[in-house]
Amino acid sequence: MRRLMALVAALAVLAGLTGCGMEPADPDTAQESIQVIAMDTVMIFKIYGEKSTHAAYAAEDEVRRLEALLSRTDAGSQVSALNDAGGQPVTVDGEVLRLLNAAGLYSEVTGGAFDISIAPVVSAWGFTEDAYRVPGQTELDELLTHVGMEHVHAETADSAWLDEGTRIDLGGIAKGYVTDRIAEILEENGVPRATVSLGGNVLAWGDRPDGTPWLVGIQDPARPDMADGFAGYLSLKDAFAVTSGGYQRYFEENGKRYHHIIDPATGYPADSGLTSVTVVADCDREGNGGLPGQGTMCDALSTALFVMGEEKALEFWRTSGYDFDLVLVTADGRVVVTEGIADVFAPDEASGYSYETVS
Amino acid sequence: MRLTTKQLTLCGVLTTLALALSVMENQIPLGLAIPIPGIKLGLANIVTVFALYALGPGQALLILLARCVLGAVFAGNMNAMLFSLLGGFSAMAVMIGLSRLRRLSVYGVSVGGAAAHNCGQVAAAVLTLGNGAPLYYLPVLLVVSLFTGALTGLVASCLFRALSHTDLMKG
Amino acid sequence: MCLPRTRPVGTAMRRSPELRPTGWDALVVLAVILLAAGCALAVWGRGGGTEALTAVVSVDGAEADRIPLDGRAGERVYSGNGYTLTVEFGPEGVRVREADCPTQDCVHTGTITRSGQSIVCLPGRIIVQLEGGTADNEAPDIVIG
Repeated sequence: MRRLMALVAALAVLAGLTGCGMEPADPDTAQESIQVIAMDTVMIFKIYGEKSTHAAYAAEDEVRRLEALLSRTDAGSQVSALNDAGGQPVTVDGEVLRLLNAAGLYSEVTGGAFDISIAPVVSAWGFTEDAYRVPGQTELDELLTHVGMEHVHAETADSAWLDEGTRIDLGGIAKGYVTDRIAEILEENGVPRATVSLGGNVLAWGDRPDGTPWLVGIQDPARPDMADGFAGYLSLKDAFAVTSGGYQRYFEENGKRYHHIIDPATGYPADSGLTSVTVVADCDREGNGGLPGQGTMCDALSTALFVMGEEKALEFWRTSGYDFDLVLVTADGRVVVTEGIADVFAPDEASGYSYETVS
Repeated sequence: MRLTTKQLTLCGVLTTLALALSVMENQIPLGLAIPIPGIKLGLANIVTVFALYALGPGQALLILLARCVLGAVFAGNMNAMLFSLLGGFSAMAVMIGLSRLRRLSVYGVSVGGAAAHNCGQVAAAVLTLGNGAPLYYLPVLLVVSLFTGALTGLVASCLFRALSHTDLMKG
Repeated sequence: MCLPRTRPVGTAMRRSPELRPTGWDALVVLAVILLAAGCALAVWGRGGGTEALTAVVSVDGAEADRIPLDGRAGERVYSGNGYTLTVEFGPEGVRVREADCPTQDCVHTGTITRSGQSIVCLPGRIIVQLEGGTADNEAPDIVIG
């Protein structure tokens, strides 16, 4: 009997040894949820898998790194260095250069509807400092002369410069780029499934533990503060989704509402008949090798298409050659869904919208 | 307790058999119906029932312990050991108790054991997940245990019949 | 060294078990069914949730409070970054009753009632999130916008 006990004890030790390093982290149950307040928003990472904790904190570190690199309000960032250089060239990271070039590309293809150099105008409206005001027309006209990607020079390999008076804000693509980078971190860590929410930017990585797609609720622009107010739902798997809407930040003066998405053509908040634009694109699990990818694209396009309005946005969807789909919410109570995601879109019956699919 | 060579051999054979049954039931996708990782039907309880009657509680416990430890080593999964230990020992405790009631047949004992097995497994799941969610499946698992218990009882009674003319049932 | 003993010490004969189901076995089956029914009532009876909905309050990234919504109503006050929120907990959910922040977004959010929902006060860096409760397949995993 004693020998048997010894055998059992030895086996138990053996089991303990083999158990080490093989500790099962069942991808369906091992999970790490963290919240990060950065880039002026609340980010929620819910990451599954064996290396979920490591991946979650690596994602947080990446967010902090990119915020320090790209923030317009952080005086030490490379974007601030560009803005403060008074027309002189500034040495910047290749990463910043690639983002500037991506911004230039999306500005070009959207006919200037997306423009990172709109920053001084946004500030004039008080959206940078939460000191809201309606700027005068002369002030806007003056500021608009410095707006346009022709004032942003990022052609060389290690430096860039802005024309005198031009200021940029990468806020319109930075969060999209963050989701691109997080997708790569998830891939590197073999994360099977995760949801990453950066407010208006979402990454649905893999599927739910039960094998169904993640359900993404699109906030109803008419009920922006309501926790249960949705314009519709998207069932997404391995996809980016970005929503831009005037309801996200606005102020009212003399009974008129002014929101934060400024039309570079007028200097005024875009008044295009849309209340929100959601851009959805597949997330390629291969990653982009650190390059701005689909997440960045969704971010830039959501802003641009909001500015362009329903017709031009749908025209762009049909002809641009970019691979994405749209959910448009209009001020006159319609929700327009493009064909490619019609089968994963579900309306919210309680919202009162009328729904239509376009091709 | 000293074991005779015959007893020791029998213990070894039964442990092997129990392990084989464990491996077999891993192939049954119970996880599809009840998504708790680690939950098993408890077919290896057939061996426990048999050992309990044929060899007595002491050796039955030894077989159970060896099965749980070895099973976990084979699976390389220490969580699995908690599941099989809690499930196995709950079943064992209940079956030892029930087998003392002379009016119960091997079926009744098996059903009680299967139910206890599933309770133990759910307890293990609650412990490992640190979350009460697995309790949700307990009623379903208890109903399932009626069938696994009956099956275990059937197999065990066949075994006893087949072996009744041998001296296996004697010390 | 390991010579077998000529006579085993253990009980020589085991009693042979009853091999046919008896009426008493039905009692065991009945007991298991009753247990299953009892568990079903206990577990599924109260809306299916096995774990009470819990409100987790975090201030500036650190968990400040964890309050199970088990029926008692109550209020607590949290401060962060110079702002103060009065949070009301009830059996049905949580809401921010009062806040001294400029935007009042958190107050406008209203009552949150389901696991996964959250109220965020960005100026105060305070987040109230609901955890636990029944997983609701119909509820969105992520809210965008």
